[in-house]
Amino acid sequence: MTPTTTAARDRDPQAPDSRPPLPVKLVIAGGFGVGKTTTVGSISEISPLTTEAAITEVAAGVDDLTHTPRKTTTTVAMDFGCITIDPTLKLYLFGTPGQERFGFMWDDIVEGAIGGLVIVDTRRLDDCYAAVDYFEHKRIPFVVAANAFDGRIEHDLTEVRWALDIADQVPLITFDARERGSVRDALLSVLELALRRAES
Amino acid sequence: MTAGDGPVGEDALPDRSSAEPVGRAPAVRPFLVTAGRVAGTGTGPPMPLETQVVATAPGIEKLDRLTFERRDIVALCRQPQSLAEVAARLRLHLNVVRVLAQDLESTGDLAVYVPRPEAAHDLSVLRRVIDGLRAIPDSRETTP
Ligand SMILES: Nc1nc2c(ncn2[C@@H]2O[C@H](COP(=O)(O)OP(=O)(O)O)[C@@H](O)[C@H]2O)c(=O)[nH]1
Ligand SMILES: [Mg+2]
Repeated sequence: MTPTTTAARDRDPQAPDSRPPLPVKLVIAGGFGVGKTTTVGSISEISPLTTEAAITEVAAGVDDLTHTPRKTTTTVAMDFGCITIDPTLKLYLFGTPGQERFGFMWDDIVEGAIGGLVIVDTRRLDDCYAAVDYFEHKRIPFVVAANAFDGRIEHDLTEVRWALDIADQVPLITFDARERGSVRDALLSVLELALRRAES
Repeated sequence: MTAGDGPVGEDALPDRSSAEPVGRAPAVRPFLVTAGRVAGTGTGPPMPLETQVVATAPGIEKLDRLTFERRDIVALCRQPQSLAEVAARLRLHLNVVRVLAQDLESTGDLAVYVPRPEAAHDLSVLRRVIDGLRAIPDSRETTP
C-alpha cells in the first residue's frame, strides 16, 4: 500500500481513493446443481452475488458445410464471492455454469485466474466434461472435486478418474460443499497445484 | 488514519442462512446506458471481472452532478470493489459497468486498478493466498 495524504483523506476515514487490494481469482466450475453456489457461500465473506457474464458458445455444427464453428455469445448467470487475505490481497471465487452440448469459452471470466476447481456430482459425471476440457486446453491448473452429497460419493475415486478420463497429474479429491473447512482445503489443493506449476 | 484498512464493504453483512445468491442482473438496456458502445471491442482484452474500482475525491465531490448509473457507480465505489461486485449490486450488465468505469476514469471520477495478469503466477502472491486460506477456521465464529 502506498498511502496518499490528500486533505480529503485526512478529514474522512471513509475517504475515497485509497488503494484497493490486489485481486486474484479462482474459478469454480461444474454442471448445474453440483454445488458451486454452495461452495462459494460456505467460505465467502459476502453472501454470493450474481451477475451476468458473456460466454461464447461454439456450436458443434455437424450440419455446417463450411466447417466453421458457429459462435454465439450467450449470457449466463455467474455467482461469486470473495475472501480478504490481507488488506493488500483479495481472493475472488467465480462460479461458472457448465453447458452441455457446446464447446464454450469462458475467457471473459477465466482470463488471469490462478486456477480452477471443477466440481462433480458423482451421480452425473458427464456434466463436468466441458469444464475439464476447457481448463486442459487453456493450461490452467485445476483440481477435480467430487462433492460428497450426504457425506458420500456414488463411486470410488479410481472409477471417477477412469470415467472422466482425466490425466494422472490432475488431482482428484472429495469434499463437502457445505463445510467451510472442506471448501478451504479444496481451494488449497488448487493453490498448491498452481504454486508447484509456477515453481517448475 | 484508518483509510484503506477496510477493503471489504460495510454493506457486506450477509444473510448466511441462504445459499441463494442475490442481485441477479437483468440483461436489459445495456445499449441505452452506454450509448451503444460495448466493452472489449477496442484495443486489448476487456478488463477482468476482478478489476478494482474506487471513487476519487473529485468524483465524490461532484456526485450530485453525475447522472443515473454513473452516480450510482461512484457512490457505491466509496468502498473499493470489483467490477463484478458493482455489476451485481447495481444490477447492471458487466459490459455496461466496464464501459462506464472507463468513462468515469477518463473524467477523473473513478480510479481503476487493472490487475497484472502475471499476479496469477507470482510465487509470493500464491504463497500469501495459501497462508491466508490456511488461517481460515473450520467453521465460522458465532456472531454475538
Ligand atoms: N445434501 C447435500 N446437498 C448439497 C450439497 N451441495 C449442494 N447441495 C444442494 O444442492 C443444490 C444445488 O446446489 P448449488 O450450490 O445451488 O449448485 P450450483 O447450481 O452448482 O450452484 C442446493 O439445493 C444445495 O443446497 C451437499 O454437499 N450435500
Ligand atoms: Mg449456482
